[in-house]
Amino acid sequence: MRTRAESVTSVPTYCYNCVAGPDLMTVTVEDGVATAIRPNFDAKEHPANGRVCVKAYGLIEKTYNPHRILTPMRRTNPNKGRGEDPGFVPITWDEALEAIAGRLNHVRATGLVDEAGLPRVAATFGHGGTPAAYMGTLPAWLAAWGPIDFSFGSGQGVKCVHSEHLYGEYWHRAFTVCADTVLTRYVISFGTNVEVSGGACAVYRHADARIRGIKRVQVEPHLSVTGAASAEWVPIKPKTDGAFLLALIHVLLHEIPRDRLDLPFLRDRTASPYLVGPNGYYLRDPDSGKPLLWDLGTGAAVPHDTPGADPALEGRFTVPHAVEHGPDETRWEHRGAEGRTAFTAMVEQMAQFSPEWAEGVCEVPASTVRRVAGEYVENACVGQTIDIDGQTLPFRPVAITLGKTVNNGWGAYECCWARTMMATLVGALEVPGGTLGTTIRLNRPHENRLASVKPGADGFMESKFNATDAEHWAAKPTGRNAHKTLVPIVGNSSWSQALGPTHLAWMFLRATPDGWPKPSYPDVWFLFRTNPAISFWDTRQMVENMARMPFVVAFAYTLDETNWMADILLPDATDLEGTQLIRVGGTKFVEQHWHHQGVALRQPAVAPRGDARDMTWIAGELAKRCGLLEDYNKALNRGAACVPLKGEAYDFSLDPKAEHSVEAIWDAECKAACAAFTGGAEAHGLDWFKEHGYFVVPFKRVDWYLYPTMVAKGLRFELPYQERLLRVGKELGTRLHDAGIRWWDDQLHEYTALPEWHDVPQRWENAVKAMGGEPADYPFWLITTKTMQYTTGNNAGIPLMNEVGRNVRDHGGVQINAATAAKLGIIDGDMVEVRSVTNATRGKAIVVQGLRPDTLVIHGQFDHWATPFAKELGFPSLNTVAPLSLDLTDSTGSGADVVKVSIRKIVPGMAGGAA
Amino acid sequence: MTRYVMVVDLRRCVGCQTCTAACKVTNATMPGVQWRRVVDMEVGTFPDVQRVFTPVGCQHCSDPPCMEVCPSTATGKRADGIVTIDYDLCIGCSYCMVACPYEARYKVDKPVWAFGDTPTEVEKRRYDPRMIGVAQKCTFCVDTIDDGVSKGLTPGVDPDATPACVNSCISGAMQFGDIEDPDSNVSKLLRENSHFRMHEEQGTNPGFYYLWDGARP
Repeated sequence: MRTRAESVTSVPTYCYNCVAGPDLMTVTVEDGVATAIRPNFDAKEHPANGRVCVKAYGLIEKTYNPHRILTPMRRTNPNKGRGEDPGFVPITWDEALEAIAGRLNHVRATGLVDEAGLPRVAATFGHGGTPAAYMGTLPAWLAAWGPIDFSFGSGQGVKCVHSEHLYGEYWHRAFTVCADTVLTRYVISFGTNVEVSGGACAVYRHADARIRGIKRVQVEPHLSVTGAASAEWVPIKPKTDGAFLLALIHVLLHEIPRDRLDLPFLRDRTASPYLVGPNGYYLRDPDSGKPLLWDLGTGAAVPHDTPGADPALEGRFTVPHAVEHGPDETRWEHRGAEGRTAFTAMVEQMAQFSPEWAEGVCEVPASTVRRVAGEYVENACVGQTIDIDGQTLPFRPVAITLGKTVNNGWGAYECCWARTMMATLVGALEVPGGTLGTTIRLNRPHENRLASVKPGADGFMESKFNATDAEHWAAKPTGRNAHKTLVPIVGNSSWSQALGPTHLAWMFLRATPDGWPKPSYPDVWFLFRTNPAISFWDTRQMVENMARMPFVVAFAYTLDETNWMADILLPDATDLEGTQLIRVGGTKFVEQHWHHQGVALRQPAVAPRGDARDMTWIAGELAKRCGLLEDYNKALNRGAACVPLKGEAYDFSLDPKAEHSVEAIWDAECKAACAAFTGGAEAHGLDWFKEHGYFVVPFKRVDWYLYPTMVAKGLRFELPYQERLLRVGKELGTRLHDAGIRWWDDQLHEYTALPEWHDVPQRWENAVKAMGGEPADYPFWLITTKTMQYTTGNNAGIPLMNEVGRNVRDHGGVQINAATAAKLGIIDGDMVEVRSVTNATRGKAIVVQGLRPDTLVIHGQFDHWATPFAKELGFPSLNTVAPLSLDLTDSTGSGADVVKVSIRKIVPGMAGGAA
Repeated sequence: MTRYVMVVDLRRCVGCQTCTAACKVTNATMPGVQWRRVVDMEVGTFPDVQRVFTPVGCQHCSDPPCMEVCPSTATGKRADGIVTIDYDLCIGCSYCMVACPYEARYKVDKPVWAFGDTPTEVEKRRYDPRMIGVAQKCTFCVDTIDDGVSKGLTPGVDPDATPACVNSCISGAMQFGDIEDPDSNVSKLLRENSHFRMHEEQGTNPGFYYLWDGARP
């Protein structure tokens, strides 16, 4: 019989291991031992009724993993490298913290930035900002410290939906984009794998939608889990999604009656009527500088915000007097110039992208493209309305979603633009049933995307681009990835650096392009819940770079491929052991749309194992030992850890000069959060939260949609014509060329006012040639996919995930089309080698039908060599063979998970192996 | 009369294995033992391919072949339809494993631990030596049901009287309840949807129903 428990408790907490969370759950604790994870059945406000996905059930094994680092450790081997055993030996916390503080205080004495102006301290955190839900008050320490380089990414830019982040937030405050699944009727999903990466909330919403009768068309090279749960699978050639999307627009603009589109939406809520001049910029009123539109009522060009104007949506008009504002101070004054509306410019540009043209690019029948476009329009319900929270809003139940690899890297600009335009053409942008943004990260306030909408220039929302004018352009990078210098659209918020081209930071450590100064290695590099030696590309180069980092501090769960290079390992209290309060509810990443908002507590369900310590305790100790205690406390008071501790109706501020316990800090956070949400009416402390787990107040459904805010503020979406991007690109080009930089020229070509097709797949062929390979030798497209068990869970070392993950066919091998495999003499289970120009990876063949004959799929991110358990799996990884390449970096600084490869069967005893 | 049954809506299931993991954690089954799992099946030839996820496990048949072949009477069937194994009576002959058309039974001959030779603290605590060398399978979380019913709770409605897999299911695909109660959630689902049972032709009368409309959703 099992041991009978004397004490059984159920401890409420949250799981935020992936960006689709946080989700609420409980931990069953028997006599002080965590034995099970259960949903939080009391959490009726949670969109998935308190349920968590499969990853959360691995947290029990995670807690009791015998491979955990359970005491601070110091490296004894001064040599670093994959082949160098670090020789970690246990030390005390005091020794560890003194060693770190010693380094940090030396940095403070030397200067927070180096001679080139680059921060001497760097930090890398893992997936999608989720580590912040586990790092306690470390953000307050970071704020107190000063400049920190966040540009050494762990996959940002190449593993996220990068271009969607930037263009989505620019066009409709959509750091991530989703369908309004609860209402929509028709979704075209280009590689969006929402059924595995959407979390518990999205999975439940989509299941409901299927029963309700939604039709989802899944367009992607392989039959993913989401494809399996869709009404139709369209196996498209990799990286040609943009052509499919442009052809959809072609059908809407050139093959169906104009009145099937939402003409009032285009006229009033977009820049479609703005007149474009001969040089490609808006024709503007000479006096006010405002863009002009053609008023059908008066038959004259008038500023865009002229009351009572009846704008012409289409046509060409002669304007008696106007100016164009070009790049920098370029001005063209026109008398009698012809202007065409932005809409007409788009119509003319899209004329070339017929379904027949797309068929030649995508290898999808033109009839399919045409039918899908027709179904989209049929379901758009143009003209219909719906009442939400007492407001009458447009009802447009159609949406298009884009997945990773579609919405990052080359081609992503076209895809993001076309997706947003498809919504715009039928008025389905940010309205019930349509295509929605979820949250924001580049604008403020982070927790309220509607409040971030402020009037900007030309009738659009305010946008915070990095300056490209001669006076203000950041010629000198402020971080090692040069995000301010190279990527105007990423801005300069607290997230911008990590959203810049983070792979450039790694590439530049190895070699810099002509005329670009080689950056220094940071004096101190912090790591928390991240393993870029596995999760980035060209992992061999990554490891070599990491080995040269002079002093690395890793908050370490177990040994892994990145902290193998660390000088100090610090064991932090993990998911079920630490204390933290985080925001929940409202609208969050992916598809977390709540009817409430508030905060949830993570609390120690069990005592920390060994000598693991709470992150808040560690942050406080670092602050104290670096002489930053007052600044750290002030940062806490400002809200760096969760919420401001002082508001209009409450004050739970901490004494800036005193040390505060972990409990005292989170007690103040709990009270302040409740007070902030209730105008000071409620102020529950830590003990209350330990019992109840979370506190929420209602969140209005109408606030899921941006449209009402745009109407209330009289603003237009900055579509279809990209005048600003065109101008910014020209200016950036001038700045770079003046500085002698020509290696970013290819990226500059992406700054177009209207998308052009630039043979996206060919770029990968060209990259093979540039790296010294022959394209014919690498005939296959290698792509990757996610599964819920592993995606972003940092849990490759958890046996339970491997066991249940193996029930899903994608795991642990190389998927290959059955007919292709037969031609190559490969049968299911054979060991195969997948080779790119730069490296090779090996795994078992998984022979499937649901995959294009020219494409291979490797799931997840593996090829571990240091992480206990994971290193025994022998799983292949795309990351091993994907090169870090400037040629494959787009203008936003992102790349896509696509590699041209060969495949061969490994015969036992055959010589050779992974390079 | 009561007969507890499982109803799985295949239109909702996405094969995430949350039920698999929840079952393993709740019942502390050893590595490799999956009383509940979701099968990932592919049908067709490129490009006309379908992929379907199907939760499987003990079907709690009303005419269970496993019980028929059990020489020690360890396998039994309760009045509420739940097929049980008395671990004290089981002699580990494995006849039932062969007889079960659903491959739902497991046998572990020696302890196996997640991280190798040594059990973790939680594995030590939850180790049940009775499970070694005997047949084991899904119990419908019978202890939870009994405990819940004794408190006046309704299986399939109240989480504390409902199997862990159903409680955990994030797509709402899995439902549990009393098919003899015309007002139960499962009876309602079966009335309103097309459904089938696996290997029904073998006369097992399984208590595990799949909702499926025969087409992609």
